Amino acid sequence: MPARNHTQWMATPPLQKGEWVDSRVYTDQEIFDEELEKIFKKAWVPVCHESELPKAYDFRTTSIANEPIIVTRGPDNEVRAFLNVCPHRGMLIERRPSGSFYEGQPSGNPKRMTCMFHAWQFDMKGNCVYISREKEGYQDRLPKENVGLRRLRCEVKFGGFVWVNLDDNPISLEDWAGEPFQCLRKTLEAEPMEVFHYHKAIVDTNYKLWHDTNCEFYHDFMHYHNRVTGFNDAYFARKNESFEHGHIVVGTFEVNYDQYEGFESRAGLSFPHLPPNQWYMIDLFPGMNFNLRGSALRCDVVTPLGPNKVMIEFRGLGLKSDTPEERQTRINHHNSIWGPFGRNLHEDLIGVQGQGTTMRPGQEPRRILHGRQENQTIHDENGMRHYYDEWGKWMNRSPSNPELPYSAPAIAAE
Amino acid sequence: MDIQTEMTAPPLSGGLDPAQAREAADAVRNAIYRATILLDSQKWDEWLALCDENFVYDIKAWSPEINYDMTYLHGSRKDLEALIRLLPKHNTDHSPLTRHTTVYTVDVADDGATAKTVSAFIVFQHLLDGTNSHIDSGESRLFLVGKYYDTFRIENGRALFTSRETRLENRRLDKGSHWPI
Repeated sequence: MPARNHTQWMATPPLQKGEWVDSRVYTDQEIFDEELEKIFKKAWVPVCHESELPKAYDFRTTSIANEPIIVTRGPDNEVRAFLNVCPHRGMLIERRPSGSFYEGQPSGNPKRMTCMFHAWQFDMKGNCVYISREKEGYQDRLPKENVGLRRLRCEVKFGGFVWVNLDDNPISLEDWAGEPFQCLRKTLEAEPMEVFHYHKAIVDTNYKLWHDTNCEFYHDFMHYHNRVTGFNDAYFARKNESFEHGHIVVGTFEVNYDQYEGFESRAGLSFPHLPPNQWYMIDLFPGMNFNLRGSALRCDVVTPLGPNKVMIEFRGLGLKSDTPEERQTRINHHNSIWGPFGRNLHEDLIGVQGQGTTMRPGQEPRRILHGRQENQTIHDENGMRHYYDEWGKWMNRSPSNPELPYSAPAIAAE
Repeated sequence: MDIQTEMTAPPLSGGLDPAQAREAADAVRNAIYRATILLDSQKWDEWLALCDENFVYDIKAWSPEINYDMTYLHGSRKDLEALIRLLPKHNTDHSPLTRHTTVYTVDVADDGATAKTVSAFIVFQHLLDGTNSHIDSGESRLFLVGKYYDTFRIENGRALFTSRETRLENRRLDKGSHWPI
């Protein structure tokens, strides 16, 4: 068919409902605001890893859906999460990305979270334990029991990741993600892991476009090593399996790194209970990815910043018991492909930023095709269809026409 | 005392003749600045020609988020040769990078055979095709800030890099890069 005029360009594609989405799901400010309220304030988010706060009184700060969060490890070794907001006048309690409350701060005592503004202090369970000049100002009208921090649902699970949910009554984390993690559970929970890599990218694109890239392998053609040296029958035969709640898992196969020009075999280093050179990928709704490839585990977490802006945090993990040599090997393997100066990540980010360039607020809506059907293997786009069906349910919007309420797609989301 | 002289003058202890020490320091300094120009020009092979056979390259950063000294890229000279050979086969943001390098210290060993240096660098990215070229091309952005920690082997008046540790201050790296820094 020759290039199309505007009417043809805007016409419904000859695919079934559910096999494309309207690009307004990526560009509309109202939809974005609604996503934060309806999805991100109710979903479990792995905000960090327990190895980032290894000792009692360590903390880590983060955010979900614009809400600042602090994660602490108490003297009882429990990891807890709170809104990082002082109940007095709304000051951010802790400004650093990580640290320890073991030592005192200029405005406060050791072993306390202290708001620097007016010196209110909180213990590691979020109890308010000190109000400066309390009696003089409040007499007995505002007991400390009434001004504790806002506690958040928090669990350490699936390999030591710290999961937080802003909803007081969410689905249990086990019910949320236990099934997709089943393929790696034994491996991830065999012994403690440790984060060795962290960097972040803020990219002008919608968060779902990043997750889409993690949900399909059809973009193999973008990467030299995938398109030239990685393809074989076993590679293409991997299944893209859908799970409840919008999650998918890509099954494993044995990667032949000796066929990768410029790469060494990774057979010498793996994870517990995992044969060498295996590759599993778990994609969780609404935008988290766990990718275990041979000797390194990668975890991506999206923080949507606007319809056309997302922060992606990248972590790399190995075993806490690694020798220095093993750790260096894992780091090299992780970063040669997935690091900020690695071969594939740069291309992935150029790809989604290119999509973000054509899908900005105010641009003409168009159809984004998710219609490849390849027996639910890795170049099938069933992972994205499954995701957007879930998205439609959470948002009560039709992904192919977000002005309409959700209705089941013509073909069942696999 | 002239601070510039103090910061860059080689130590004069040991048996090295002061004139030889100055000559060695000059050779080292020239190698660093020549490397800057060659990297800016993407003359990768010529840049590697400034490096010893046993050259080791690292890009590192301390993360206050995870409290870990991270290695973002590590490679031997052989690894870098492979990396460079494959560059045309990758889809890359071709926005040129230019470096502003300032050599802070040059410490030549007593025997004059090796040297260590510390240099500061700033890398600017001059947008070309990374995003929407119609709007963004021609814009220059601060891309990276950090220090080079280099070591050298000095032979017959020529300084060859034996290692370069590129230590970054910024860790929000957005799309990153395929290129050595």
